[in-house]
Amino acid sequence: MTTHALPITVRPQAGSQFKRWIWIAVSIALLCYLPLLLTDRTIFGVRLSNMQLLNVGLSQVNLMLIAMLGALSLNYLTGCAGLISIGHAAFYAVGAMTAAFTGTQLGWPFPLVLLAAGLAGAVAGLLAGLPSLRVRGLYFVLSTFALHYIVSFAFLEYQFKAFDVVGVPYKTATLGGFELNTPIRWYFFLLPLLALVYWGLRNSLRSREGRAMMAMRDHELATTSVGVDVRILRLKAFAFSSAIAAMGGALYAYYLTNLNSEAFGISFAIQFIAMIIIGGMGSLGGSLVGAAVWLLLPSIITGFASQAGDSTGLTRLLLIEHKAQLVQVTFGMLVILLLIFAPGGIAGIGRQIRNRFATTGQAV
Amino acid sequence: MLAQVLFSGLALGSIYGLVALGFAVVFKATEVFNFAQGMFVVCGAFFAVTAITILKLPFPLAVLFIIGAAATLGVIIHVLLIQPLAGRPMLSVIMLTIALSIVMRAVIEIIFGSQGRNLTTPLPSGVFLIGDVRISQLHLTAALVSWACMAGFGAFFRFTSVGLLMRATADSHEAAVVSGVNVNVMNRLAWAIGSTLAAIGGVFLGQLQLASTDIENIGLLALPAVVIGGLQSIPGAIVGGLLVGVIEQLAAYYISPKSSDILIYGLLLLILMVRPWGLFGQRELGRV
Repeated sequence: MTTHALPITVRPQAGSQFKRWIWIAVSIALLCYLPLLLTDRTIFGVRLSNMQLLNVGLSQVNLMLIAMLGALSLNYLTGCAGLISIGHAAFYAVGAMTAAFTGTQLGWPFPLVLLAAGLAGAVAGLLAGLPSLRVRGLYFVLSTFALHYIVSFAFLEYQFKAFDVVGVPYKTATLGGFELNTPIRWYFFLLPLLALVYWGLRNSLRSREGRAMMAMRDHELATTSVGVDVRILRLKAFAFSSAIAAMGGALYAYYLTNLNSEAFGISFAIQFIAMIIIGGMGSLGGSLVGAAVWLLLPSIITGFASQAGDSTGLTRLLLIEHKAQLVQVTFGMLVILLLIFAPGGIAGIGRQIRNRFATTGQAV
Repeated sequence: MLAQVLFSGLALGSIYGLVALGFAVVFKATEVFNFAQGMFVVCGAFFAVTAITILKLPFPLAVLFIIGAAATLGVIIHVLLIQPLAGRPMLSVIMLTIALSIVMRAVIEIIFGSQGRNLTTPLPSGVFLIGDVRISQLHLTAALVSWACMAGFGAFFRFTSVGLLMRATADSHEAAVVSGVNVNVMNRLAWAIGSTLAAIGGVFLGQLQLASTDIENIGLLALPAVVIGGLQSIPGAIVGGLLVGVIEQLAAYYISPKSSDILIYGLLLLILMVRPWGLFGQRELGRV
């Protein structure tokens, strides 16, 4: 049985409740200011160079927010429910496919398309979870792997039958007459949505079923013996997680406005696993961090590459000619090093540091 | 035409079987489900490019170079990456091999460029006819070498004392340790064998197509092959490889090239649902 270090949640006391609200207010203010900072590239009137902003633009931030949905849902499934899936891109593909059918072909409005994508994702998740009734462990992982190939084949066939080789076109997303046509508008649509999903998942983990789920991850036999039907629970977790992922897929498709089925390859699925490993298994906040690292690091490396334009030799060769490979090596090494030296990911490192400070505080 | 398709299916299937055999040896010994096996295949092709095209070694020396390099690679990976992760949850180990394959792919592309390279070896590459069937000598050689390797390793496991120790280690780690077997050496040997077998497959695949990082996907077909045959079973890996090769060629010829994936993975899903331990594996008993 695998055991994970659980984050210890300490109930805030009356005094710190006030502090917590201040923190929330400050972070909301910062998050609202961020898009202005990234589009104007000035901070309170002071002009910032590209590298001071780490070469990050708002559209990358938006893609990051969408990826955070996927990372959250995968961490819920893998980190919290203990069900490993390497077919998470398949649910993104299901969402994008549903969006293509309902949005582009039937012309449904955008909010309805999102709901339909979520529903289709839940159904797909139920189907994908069915093998978990029969097989477990490695065999279950492989069934999600097989599922990935089956769904991507279906998407490919659908795209070729209904559209063309170039890709599936998506309409501009509109919310009751309000067009989501600029990165800023997308940002202010995605951010509350992400906050909602995060809040929902966090609360669901603290509910009766959420606790049963984590118990199932840590010791299945013991959980069964206290009267939890783990089979139903697994299916529920799968459906819930894949509904979120499918909505992420629909958003991704609408954000890019044109999507080829090739986009959801096996590496798309792998990136989510990497995100939750970087961020920290079983930690919802960690999946946000992991997604941020995964989506923003490439543009930071690109930024260094454009600065290294006049230097010579090996660094130049690496940074300019093999930028994509360099990003891959960085990510791969990051994952390998974290796996060997810090299995709890960035969230685990944070917890260690906090614990160290907490104990020294008590000692004094 | 059926005979033609079957021939190339069996020839390619033999290569898959070889790669799958390496995979199964590693899995049996260390319980690592190695997603980097596809990259070992690519490494084999590029070791061949290095030895033959760049260093211009004579062919027998080149073969030694390829085998030596591949075995060293397997041992290094086991010592540096797999051993520190002993006893960790399954996803960590799986993800480690995935990350490893990402790094290996990028490093190979940095060294050799992302375009494929032509690989030419002194192996016979002509074509002759038997009836209506065009027999490519390269396919035939690949199949024969694969079968020879499989037979060789079968004999090695069956009849030599080191093979016996390896089987004992795979059977029960603790019992092997108690009997004085150096388990780490045995596991390193298993990784060396696994990567060498993949590399030999890679030399042939690199010559049948281009030597590029794209043949990773072909190498990864060893995964369904192993599971269909039975994860714990060496003959299962070989039969699974042949089956995957034949299905792939039949589907590509009679339906469409894209459909081979779905048939192979559909079969994988079916096997997982009906007989998760595979065609030749042993049923694993667990607490219910």
